[in-house]
Amino acid sequence: MILSVRGLHRTFGAGPAAVHALRDITFDIEPGTMVALVGRSGSGKTTLLNVIGGLDRPDAGTVHIDGNDVTALDEDGLSQLRRDTVSYIFQTFGLIPVLSAAENVGAPLRLVRTPAADREKRVRLLLDLVGLSDHAEQRPGELSGGQQQRVAIARALAASPRLLIADEPTGQLDAETGRSVMALLRGVVESEGVTALVSTHDPVMMALADRVIRISDGQIVA
Amino acid sequence: MNLHWPSVRGRARADAGPLTLSAVVVAVVAVLAGSVPVLLRSTADEAVRQAVSVAGDDADVKVEARWEYDDGSSGGRVRSPRSTEALDELRDRSLDQLGSLRDSLLPPIEFTDSPYLKLLNNTEPRSFRLNYLAGATGPAVTWLSGGAPKPAAEQPDVEAPWNGPPWPVQVGVSEKTATRLGLRAGDRLTIEDEQRNPKDVRVSGVFRATDPADPAWQVAPWLLDPAPGMDGAGNTRYGGLLSAESLPDARLAFGLDEISKTVRFRPDPAVLTLDTAEQLAATVVALKASSGSSASRGYASQWATQLDAVLHDVRDEIDAAQAQASVLLAAVSVVAVLILLLAADLLVARRSAALAVARQRGASLIALGAELLLESVLVTAGAAALGVLLAALVAGGVAWGWLLPVCLAAVLAGPAFGLVVAYRATRDRRVPANRSARKWAGRTAALRRLTGEATVLAAAVTAVTVLHQRGVLPSAGGTVLLPAAAPALGVLTGALVLLRVLPALTGLRLRQALRSTRPLAVFGAARAAYVAARALPVLALVSAAGLATFALTVSTTVDRGLTDGAWRTVGADARLDLSPRKASATDEMVRKLVGAAGVRHVVAAQVIDVAPLVVGDASRPSRLVVVDSAAYRTLLADTPLTALPPLPAGSGAVPALVRSGDGKVGVGSQLKLPRDGAPPVSFDAVGVAPAIGGGEDVVLVDAAAMTAAGVTVVPNTIWVTGPGAAQAAKAAAGDALVEIRTDVERARRDAPLVTGLIRLAWASAGTLLALGLLGFALGAAAGAPERWQTLSRLRTLGLRTREARRVATAELLPLALLAAAGGPLLGAGLAWLTLGPLALRLLTGQPDDPALILPWAGLALIVLAFPVMVTLVVPAEAATRRRRRLSEVLRVGGA
Repeated sequence: MILSVRGLHRTFGAGPAAVHALRDITFDIEPGTMVALVGRSGSGKTTLLNVIGGLDRPDAGTVHIDGNDVTALDEDGLSQLRRDTVSYIFQTFGLIPVLSAAENVGAPLRLVRTPAADREKRVRLLLDLVGLSDHAEQRPGELSGGQQQRVAIARALAASPRLLIADEPTGQLDAETGRSVMALLRGVVESEGVTALVSTHDPVMMALADRVIRISDGQIVA
Repeated sequence: MNLHWPSVRGRARADAGPLTLSAVVVAVVAVLAGSVPVLLRSTADEAVRQAVSVAGDDADVKVEARWEYDDGSSGGRVRSPRSTEALDELRDRSLDQLGSLRDSLLPPIEFTDSPYLKLLNNTEPRSFRLNYLAGATGPAVTWLSGGAPKPAAEQPDVEAPWNGPPWPVQVGVSEKTATRLGLRAGDRLTIEDEQRNPKDVRVSGVFRATDPADPAWQVAPWLLDPAPGMDGAGNTRYGGLLSAESLPDARLAFGLDEISKTVRFRPDPAVLTLDTAEQLAATVVALKASSGSSASRGYASQWATQLDAVLHDVRDEIDAAQAQASVLLAAVSVVAVLILLLAADLLVARRSAALAVARQRGASLIALGAELLLESVLVTAGAAALGVLLAALVAGGVAWGWLLPVCLAAVLAGPAFGLVVAYRATRDRRVPANRSARKWAGRTAALRRLTGEATVLAAAVTAVTVLHQRGVLPSAGGTVLLPAAAPALGVLTGALVLLRVLPALTGLRLRQALRSTRPLAVFGAARAAYVAARALPVLALVSAAGLATFALTVSTTVDRGLTDGAWRTVGADARLDLSPRKASATDEMVRKLVGAAGVRHVVAAQVIDVAPLVVGDASRPSRLVVVDSAAYRTLLADTPLTALPPLPAGSGAVPALVRSGDGKVGVGSQLKLPRDGAPPVSFDAVGVAPAIGGGEDVVLVDAAAMTAAGVTVVPNTIWVTGPGAAQAAKAAAGDALVEIRTDVERARRDAPLVTGLIRLAWASAGTLLALGLLGFALGAAAGAPERWQTLSRLRTLGLRTREARRVATAELLPLALLAAAGGPLLGAGLAWLTLGPLALRLLTGQPDDPALILPWAGLALIVLAFPVMVTLVVPAEAATRRRRRLSEVLRVGGA
């Protein structure tokens, strides 16, 4: 298993106002699969992704990624996990405005001190993969929303992660662009051999996924 | 228009921090700007009182009339027993003419003065005066021996024959005079007038003043204490007191108009102000113009005073101090406005989402504007009221002029920025898809910015030009506001230039970082480049640092200028001015001084203040200094004064060093000193003389060369240096006039205007630096959400917490370094450009503009303060965000 989640609980607040965002979540994901996490707004999708990615800590339960217990890692351990194993794709892209598309894609490789030649080669490959070879030197402000999300996907793949976590990656895009981004995600899962866990409302995405996990009121329903 | 009160209250509660900071800025500036002009006004009044006090007799208002004819029927002169009544009548008439201004004057003093009389049988030159004094309370005396002067004749209106023997007149002398002259009651003085006519003056008694502080004695202090130097250097003046009974005899003892008939008014220091002093001087000038027109000899009075001249000098100093204070207040106001704009920027950054939501829910721009305006008016009014109250407590009054721009900025900035955000949140204008349209929009924005920058540049150039052409004094015409704003506008212009430079520098740094293998350098440089275009922080911080440097430079320049001015006034640690008639004793005095403890150098010279030198055919009166040049050179080397250049032999003429205020006499000029009954002495200008005694035109020659040219050198000045110079000079002085450098410096340093200006400069520098640091914190706070949002995103790529702090430091450091380096450079440059026209010399007592002195310790503080702020702000921000989970930060930021 690339991902193993056991008995996750996460509650925000206390007393009568407490919100139980996750309740006893347990599931596994096979390597090289694309899993869609589906649910209404407020169902707990983002919280689950955050806990899995180490951005948040559960009140109870464990998360193992590639055999490592994420919930037991300290801050440095989590940072190392994010450098080597887990990548994120956000709804709002999160690119650095003054860096070009190529420099944004190369940012994770700089963090792991990849030699410049290898980094440039990998960046060219990824930009080619996401169809932005011709836009390598453009800055995020000069790109459309769909292009920015493609850059974000390329950046997420740069350090060859084992697990890709995407939280509503098409939330800010129009339907057609969203579909092309989803198709791209599907493609990179296959070409890069990465495992993807994607939260979405989009039925097209569900259709592209190898597996769909439905969540409601913090519990897996299907 | 309906205001949404819950929103108004909610916003105020949520943003209590930034609102409080704005209020603090307004309150601090209100205290400073509200109190300084008032304090300066009272300092000006104090300066006037001090100047009038120092001026002594010169500030007195004098009314003089002539005595009525006293021709007798037998061809002689009739004794006038009612002489004091004539004085009373002159006093009463003068009081009537002064009107309400008499309230600014002390009670009048009736005064008569005899001509110069020379005491004989003394080796030392001594003069004597006969004076009658009558003030409000006397002056009362106690007779130690003898009694008050009595009439010389039993018949009050006796007629004295022309060409008779000297008419006897009785006077009383003080016990000091009696001791010094060896007089007793009944003695007759051996005395004659300047025409060598003997006078019959007898001592009726020896008195002691009941109250030596009685203002009447100040009119003729020599009546109590013999006064050295009043009738020329080395000459001591003594006096004899006339009584109402002996005054008629004194009139007969001298010619009709030789005894003065005067009423003197001394300005009352307790109530005198700049305004009343100026009114008084103007009234006296008007009375001067209209007086003396009566046909009646006894009735025609002449008004005289030097008060207008005294006031002219102090007025220049007051104008200079007020203008210099305006410069500092303009600086504080400009920076305060920029900081308030930054505070408003932070406030709006925190509220942008709420304002956008309110607008989307249907709130009108007018209603939102009214809500924001209400909040800013309440905050500003409360803060300004507190500041004004404190200013009133400190200064006893409040000046409003400098408060207005600050209050206006505080009131309008928040609502204006808020409305722009609310408007942009809902306007139907999008970034054009068309590239050329985007370029056009970009050019329009660039042109708008360029226009603003050009306006500031034009204002700065105009202000500096006006400052250089007219100076800062209002007496030069025009308003003081524009030239006073020159340094602030200059620094603002420089900040605009740096605002253009910063993105280029951060872009260059980013390009360098991208070529490196250090990821943190790349992220830090990228963040720095991204925020480099933010105008307000750059303008506020650079202006604050620059103007704080300027204020400190004013302070140190004045401080050092006072020291230099005292050196140049005295010429050494001490100077003794001797009577030429006592030149024979000069060598002895020099020997005594040389042997005194703590004296390093002693040099005697002959200094002629106005020597009738001739250059070509033109007369050129100059200060002629004849001195042993080698000894003087050694003495000057022991002082911070300019070294004395060598005096090489010329072409037969006496080699001379010359200094010319207008530059018309220089090296190579030929000068001549005419002599009575002898050929003139020729001088050959071979070098530049130092400014001795503050003189602009100076000629210095070697004493030996002058002696060789046949001129007898009679030293009248002795310069002394060394730690014991002051004590030695005072001990050796005798009748010589002594000037001590440290005394001169202390007196100038303690002058109210100087003290006030230095304190204001320090207060302004402190306020400006504090505002600058506050601006840095505000700017950092405004950018913090976006900065930490980006850092959180980078942390999802694997950036560690401590690395995030280093990236944040790298983002903030360029702005801090720009303020730390650019601000002081601009401030020092503006000081160099504008301190000359600020007329600081009027306060330092230097003959020309003081040399610019940089405040190195203050500069170090300013340079270090901003980078240190980075090291404080980043950990504080990190600590604030450490409590929040990464997921929370990203969710709030919309990631």
